[in-house]
Amino acid sequence: MDYQALEKKYLDVAARVVEKAARAGALVEAYLNAGETLSIEVRNQEVEALTTARDQGLGLRVIRDQRVGFAFTTDFSPAALDLCVEQALANARMATPDAHNCLPARYPGYPSLDLFDPGIIDTPVGQKIELVREIERQARGYDPRVKITESCSYNDSRYLVALANSQGITAAYHAAYCGASTFMVAVENEESQTGFGLAYGLQYKNIDPVKIGREGAARAVRMLGARRVNTQRAAVVLDPYVATNFLGVIAPALAADAVQKGKSLFRGRVGQQVAAPVVNIIDDGRRPDGIASSPFDGEGVPTEHTTLVEKGILKCYLHNTYTAARDGVKSTGNGARGSFKTTPEVGTTNFYIAAGPHTPEEIIKEIPKGLYVTEVMGMHTANPISGDFSVGASGLWIEKGELTNPVRGVAIAGNIINLLGSIDAVGSDLTFFGATGAPTVRIASMTISG
Amino acid sequence: MLLPEADLKAILAAALAQGGDFAEIFLERRRTTIISCEENKIERVTSGLEQGAGIRVIKGENTAYGYSNDLNRESLIQTANLVGKALPGQPGPVEITFQRPRAQVEFTIKKSPDQVPVDEKVALVQRANEAARAVDQRITQVTVGYGDVIQEVTIANSAGVLVEDQRVRCRFVVNAVATDGQAIQTGYESVGGHQGWELFESVNPEEQARLAAQRAVRMLEARPAPAGKMPVVMAGEAGGTMIHEACGHGLEADLVQKQLSVYAGKKGQQVASELITVIDDATIPGKYGSYRFDDEGIPGEKTVLIEKGVLKEYMYDYLTARKEGRRSTGNGRRESYQDRPIPRMTNTFIAPGQDDPAAILRETKQGLLVKRMGGGQVNTTNGDFVFDVAEGYLIQDGKVGPAVRGATLTGNGPEVLKIIDRVGSDLGFSLGICGKDGQGVPVGDAQPTIRIPEMVVGGILDEEAKD
Repeated sequence: MDYQALEKKYLDVAARVVEKAARAGALVEAYLNAGETLSIEVRNQEVEALTTARDQGLGLRVIRDQRVGFAFTTDFSPAALDLCVEQALANARMATPDAHNCLPARYPGYPSLDLFDPGIIDTPVGQKIELVREIERQARGYDPRVKITESCSYNDSRYLVALANSQGITAAYHAAYCGASTFMVAVENEESQTGFGLAYGLQYKNIDPVKIGREGAARAVRMLGARRVNTQRAAVVLDPYVATNFLGVIAPALAADAVQKGKSLFRGRVGQQVAAPVVNIIDDGRRPDGIASSPFDGEGVPTEHTTLVEKGILKCYLHNTYTAARDGVKSTGNGARGSFKTTPEVGTTNFYIAAGPHTPEEIIKEIPKGLYVTEVMGMHTANPISGDFSVGASGLWIEKGELTNPVRGVAIAGNIINLLGSIDAVGSDLTFFGATGAPTVRIASMTISG
Repeated sequence: MLLPEADLKAILAAALAQGGDFAEIFLERRRTTIISCEENKIERVTSGLEQGAGIRVIKGENTAYGYSNDLNRESLIQTANLVGKALPGQPGPVEITFQRPRAQVEFTIKKSPDQVPVDEKVALVQRANEAARAVDQRITQVTVGYGDVIQEVTIANSAGVLVEDQRVRCRFVVNAVATDGQAIQTGYESVGGHQGWELFESVNPEEQARLAAQRAVRMLEARPAPAGKMPVVMAGEAGGTMIHEACGHGLEADLVQKQLSVYAGKKGQQVASELITVIDDATIPGKYGSYRFDDEGIPGEKTVLIEKGVLKEYMYDYLTARKEGRRSTGNGRRESYQDRPIPRMTNTFIAPGQDDPAAILRETKQGLLVKRMGGGQVNTTNGDFVFDVAEGYLIQDGKVGPAVRGATLTGNGPEVLKIIDRVGSDLGFSLGICGKDGQGVPVGDAQPTIRIPEMVVGGILDEEAKD
């Protein structure tokens, strides 16, 4: 793709649509997204599936008489764009007026970020296929019991974002990300266990097939022979993947819209201790190699580095333009768009628990008995409003500071606020799984149901 | 039709020009309306138009896929060429004669949602919002969502299948939040179907809203769920998440063929209690997972998966059926033109049995009664699954005891299916969006009242509850 020419083309489309809707007396914002994706799936060293794609879309938000209307389309023909404008304006008539509905004005500038690694574009498909094959070879070679490839894949995406509004914002950027993952199955006697390895980022050279493959294999093999344990209270250590899963449940509660609507655990808690003093939680829209990094958010506001929880104390919430206007504060650049199909709602960017001082080994060494959790099931059933969770868990049993037998089929339950408050150690091994990341964390005591 | 027959043939021919042995084009035009209400405000009214085409070429066991939003003939021929090039071979002559298969069932949409004015849809959402809020003073927030989709598809392949279809779905959800100053709890109801606006002839949105609000309030008074092993009675009205997770996914042929299912190689074997018959049925009129044709143009059908505990059949799409030289069961589905079809469930249920549902409860001394299930997940490789209990009660001496909250049930699919010892004569449906390989598709699930003599309840120990 010739990104310079495409930026111009899409900004022209945006400008035309904005002008048309503005003539009807509305505040207008056009958000365009266009991209190309590649995905490669390998099994038994064969390319099982190869997908190449191209798509585009436009989301149009209008505000008339303080009412929001929205419409989207993938068809950029003049007739389809006209229909989109007409629908957005008609939809606004149905909405309830709200004085805080507004669009951001022009910013003096945006941060300059390195979001486009030519390595992702220039590496030939054949070489990417070879990378996936290498992941599978590494995994299968790790242990003879690694016998089945559930999946082994690479994918990348290059995309362009163009945004224009009636308040003077005209901005665009292009970016690319890539990643690879594997799920491997270890088999012994009648038993099968799965393990995964993955890496995502902005740099092709950082995707290490050896590490991904061996990690997937290791996670599968170590679960062979897993058994239940009896119901009891014990220390629980969450590995970075599981800690990241828990962090995902907290994310919606830190969004100002949830707070304003009375749906957040953290409502009215700014300045208070909401987690143990060892916990720091950050959202960073500019993080180097972060796959959610961008110069501006889904409504053209510059992204920021926001410390949400510092030494366990809640500092602030995440805001988009609407929630900021309502609270009389400044947007934190968290007007997130899942795609052109949605309005910019409050959402996280690169969101993580900051690394602590201890190695994972040190964290485990001090535990007389406990569970090192490496997988949870049903995390999506946790309730982000009440904070209640109850999830299936598997991992390794800790006895006298050492990892011993694998454990599966147990459940851990509680409330996320209590869990945050009971964290007594944070590891130095911050690891990202997509845009969310965490290090190893230890909880002094929890119920394990078996 | 989204493209003339001659264009479809030209595109398929281009896709096979490099020597693939099967080509398919899936064209889609999707119009959506979404309305959301929160804080007593109609916050968002959204209209959407998405269109695109996915082109697939298969050679042996390898697949190449491409998609684009551009439905112009020349652009699609170019995409087809690119996709075909990924699987080079010896091209042969391509001759395609289209035939239109007949569906096993016809669905009538009485009132297409695009014939209903948006203000009527908005009014329905507002009525539901008011009904939920009127239930109790402790209801502090209500979210009501309405969505409709009109999906037009044209599916054509080099084997000569040509299908045009229109799928119409409406969905309505209510989420109520109750607060008593200390605890905060939620209640959720969701209804929907392969139906037009007539959905609201059989479903009263205000009633659904009240149910959601009542559940939120009830859960405020609930105590934390107990922890450990105990008998579990699942009411018919609890929905079908358990069967979906405990065995449905493991019976999808792609997972079976890759040896990723505990049910692999077990056709003809006893895999469940004799009381258990499991069916997947796309042909039930009006249900959320129903369709006339799957996303590969194969007529949807009713498939008996497990009969009296014996494994009879898996769910197949074109590719998995082809690997075994057999026919598809019409379970090839995809989220959109952006996705390759894979074997998926439609409406999956445990068939009703002989027992009186009330007697099952009465004859269970102690345990947990599940009145409503939430979401779930399964590890198909070892069969372990979990699901969330959205509304649960302790069973005390055969009667419904105090409400409990925050429970998850953990089990192993094959183990649980073997020990089920009571199956009721009732049947309750639920609906949801099922996720697999990153693709979400609408499904229905159902089951009668059943009893599982022993399951692990993930609650918390008493000492902690007293903290």
